[in-house]
Amino acid sequence: MSAVRDITLLGRDAPLWLAAAALRRALAPAGVTVRAVALPDENGVADLYATLPAIEALHNQVGIDEAALLRGVRGAFTLGQNFVDVSGAGEAPFLHSYGAFGTGINGGDFFPHWVKARRHGLGVGLDDFSLTATAAHNGRLFIPDEDSEIYGRSDYGYHLPAAAYAKSLKAIAQHLGVVVFETASVAVERSDDGIAALLLDDGSRVESALFADLTREGLLREGLLRETTDGAFEAWAMPGDRMLTALAPRFAALPVYAEIRAGTDGWTGLFPSLTQTHVVHVFSSAATSDEAALQAAATVSGLALEATTIRALAPGVASVPWAGNVIGLGEAACSFDPIHGLGLHGLQLGIVHLLGVYPAEGDSYAARRAEYNRIMRSHFARVADFQVAHHTLQKYAGPFWDVARALPVSDELANMIDFFRARGELAPQEDESLPPDSWRVLFTGHGIVPESWRPAVDRVPPDEVTIHFRKMLGFVREQVLRQPTHDAYLARILQRPHG
Amino acid sequence: MTAHGPYRIVILGGGTAGWMCASGLAGLLAAADYDITLIESDEIATVGVGEATLPHIKTFNDMIGIDEAEFMRETAGTIKLGIEFVDWLRPGVRYIHPFGTFGDRWTNADFQHHWARARLAGTDSRSLQDYSFAVAAALANGFEHPNTDPKSIRSTYSYAYHFDAGLYAAYLRKWATARGIRRMEGKVVDVVRDAESGDVASLTLASGAEVSGDLFIDCSGFRSLLLGQTMEVPWVDWSDWLPCDRAFAVPCTGVEPLTPYTRATAQRAGWTWRIPLQHRIGNGYVFSSRFCGEEEARQTLLGAIDGEALDEPRLLRFQAGRRQVGWAGNCIAVGLASGFLEPLESTSIFLIQAATIDLAGLIPRRGEKVDPRMVREFNRLFSVHYDRTRDFLVLHYTANERIGEPMWDHVRNMTLPDSLTHKMALFRESAAAPEYRLGLFSRDSWLSVLEGQGVLPSAANPLTHRLSAADLQARLDDLAERIAVNAVDMTPHAEFLASYCASEAKAMPGVPANAA
Repeated sequence: MSAVRDITLLGRDAPLWLAAAALRRALAPAGVTVRAVALPDENGVADLYATLPAIEALHNQVGIDEAALLRGVRGAFTLGQNFVDVSGAGEAPFLHSYGAFGTGINGGDFFPHWVKARRHGLGVGLDDFSLTATAAHNGRLFIPDEDSEIYGRSDYGYHLPAAAYAKSLKAIAQHLGVVVFETASVAVERSDDGIAALLLDDGSRVESALFADLTREGLLREGLLRETTDGAFEAWAMPGDRMLTALAPRFAALPVYAEIRAGTDGWTGLFPSLTQTHVVHVFSSAATSDEAALQAAATVSGLALEATTIRALAPGVASVPWAGNVIGLGEAACSFDPIHGLGLHGLQLGIVHLLGVYPAEGDSYAARRAEYNRIMRSHFARVADFQVAHHTLQKYAGPFWDVARALPVSDELANMIDFFRARGELAPQEDESLPPDSWRVLFTGHGIVPESWRPAVDRVPPDEVTIHFRKMLGFVREQVLRQPTHDAYLARILQRPHG
Repeated sequence: MTAHGPYRIVILGGGTAGWMCASGLAGLLAAADYDITLIESDEIATVGVGEATLPHIKTFNDMIGIDEAEFMRETAGTIKLGIEFVDWLRPGVRYIHPFGTFGDRWTNADFQHHWARARLAGTDSRSLQDYSFAVAAALANGFEHPNTDPKSIRSTYSYAYHFDAGLYAAYLRKWATARGIRRMEGKVVDVVRDAESGDVASLTLASGAEVSGDLFIDCSGFRSLLLGQTMEVPWVDWSDWLPCDRAFAVPCTGVEPLTPYTRATAQRAGWTWRIPLQHRIGNGYVFSSRFCGEEEARQTLLGAIDGEALDEPRLLRFQAGRRQVGWAGNCIAVGLASGFLEPLESTSIFLIQAATIDLAGLIPRRGEKVDPRMVREFNRLFSVHYDRTRDFLVLHYTANERIGEPMWDHVRNMTLPDSLTHKMALFRESAAAPEYRLGLFSRDSWLSVLEGQGVLPSAANPLTHRLSAADLQARLDDLAERIAVNAVDMTPHAEFLASYCASEAKAMPGVPANAA
């Protein structure tokens, strides 16, 4: 092994082009050649990426302009995901919003004060203390400014129609100098410690020191390592194994969040883009036929569905994300349950950490590979814990949710849930990529009412806390009223001249 | 809720751990909800050699509202900008572990990657040390409070203190008792346990007095009377990795200049510390009895001190390690009762502080009982604090070139914790340095010791190439120059102390030891 001045990415659709563009942009000054071997696109018109706010940082690194992107792909903003029970269990809905709750009191965190106040009968929920959540409930976007940043973080993600996003990213990747190959299928030429070259349909041979596998099925891992322990893919027992996607007409007033409706046999997600509503329905093939799923998706969404496709899901994680000279990125390394829209989040984690240890120099990269594997496994485990928390804490009715409730819980997660229930605090973890308020809203949204709170909170007289709370509620109301509706803001972006 | 009386906390043992814990709880909890008693005996000597601290103590002091100037005046305190390691790599080589950062993060790559790149290209021959303002200030024997403008090079350091541990405990005693902590004089002769739960119910004093409580904090030192002896929590032994098990300690008269840093000098079978206070210098020799006899150690220490010995060297015996858990039943150990790591990186007081702050967040509220879910979280954090500190200490020993000296040969060749082996290999291979959220020691701390112990990178992160070689060198030159220029006119440390917090403490009028 020696300095790695070239890397070849195998994949398709947006993940391939996003990774290629990001690696090229970051590594070109160091003289690294980035090749992309593109398999035929799989994305249909109904496919859409829901992103977390963090994607903005990656877009900025690549040089993607937000307004131009949303114009180009006819995307939309999202302030979070609204989880709604339509299973008949009578669970209250909750919004996993992308902003912070409340602002500090006398240098201490807001949340424990809220926990205490709730125990003493406060009738105001967390969302009223959040700029983002309150804006979402009022059909408005929240665009942060200096005052709001002092109060607390207010972020947004995007809904990006997948095919258009891929097209836009591909153009950027090519513009940045990514060398592009296209092929219908690929064969692997082995070397002693991994892959020597990819063999394409047209007979060309793409040699490279390093390869990155971005295929959802982990083609290179499968081709290279099938019989070795390094090649293992640890399947996660998530409740859904099939996913239906479809298109439906857009809502008259564009919602500013996604809605995840829990039915008895699965869940149905409604993701607004500029011109359409993208519908996802996840179910279990053991309990539900494709026909029944289609019926359920139509019923639960209440929308006329078209462009319907159904595909299999295989959530899980590669035992060794980077084996030999093949690096798993995105779904080749880890495939999340689609319920939280974390597909690009997993990819972004991989890109960021690969850049942190990319071996453009040096005689060996064994330690860097070990570090990538350590850090990715740890990050993926935290995200999976978040998803398992959602599944095991929900109280929806129906066989799908009964299975979900029985999922195995890691020791770390069990401790986190116990500790939150006991004291309303989050046990701090390494390699946590989701913000604390996401965990708080997940736990409280599923009905955990902490039994106690951090004792330091008792030093602040309740009357003083009440005054702070009133100020916060007033500030949030006032700020939100000044915000544009989603439609108005998007119209403003669309009006700007192209280019 | 008001039906319950205040929650009763009994702290066993004064000294640094007991009084820090008492002060921390007094500062962090609502006074009306807790009834805190500290039992100590004037007959029991405290160990009290932990006279050097880490910058975290300032956070602790600020959190509970201790006035810095008053605290330094009353404890004969001095400033500590870092620790100088002398002869650790090999005789004649020295470096400082500074309390501050090395350079800036440029182009999304941490500073050491830029440093490594320029160094490997042969365009820059400076040490990382040259990119630390704290190092420059320490070597200039200067100190001023850091600038709060983050753009200023004078904002890139923090600081800790050296102080007289005996005076510190006395200062905190006064501080805590003024805030409602009850002090009881007495020796514990019996521990009464609840027959059913096994929890400690009360402590019986020599006077016959019975002190009952809801929660007992064991600050009894090495004896670990409650957690170790009563609750029988097993000991996790780390002496394979940290073979030093004895220390001689002796104070000596002060010398000029008054250095704003601790010094740790490697010796044949361990290392000697030097901690300058306002009124004297604290010294000690931490050594391994496997490799050095006591008399030899005593002579080594007396030969290594700068001033006149003020007392007979005092011997301490210990073992590196920790209790399996820090909280069992209704007993929590804080300080030496929970574990011991040699004072190489001044971690003892930090570990007391961490346990106190963790406990203040996890302790039952008035009317609540000990909750196993809180205990589990406390113990998780407890082991993280100890284990991460251990790896950092072991690095100082294992990466050495003191070939032919049996103890140093042993630590160089021993099998390391996997977590440490990986950290060292990763830095050598790529200049990537350890970074974690929980537990002690930042990336900058690791960098100083890695470089200082001769663990050097052979490659840098490619993101550094987003700067041209010429731009990079210009930035490096500018940074080094700003550091050097600004360090020159720092107020001398001694002058700073005289105007800010001059102490009235006098060196102990002890009998000078028989110097060798």
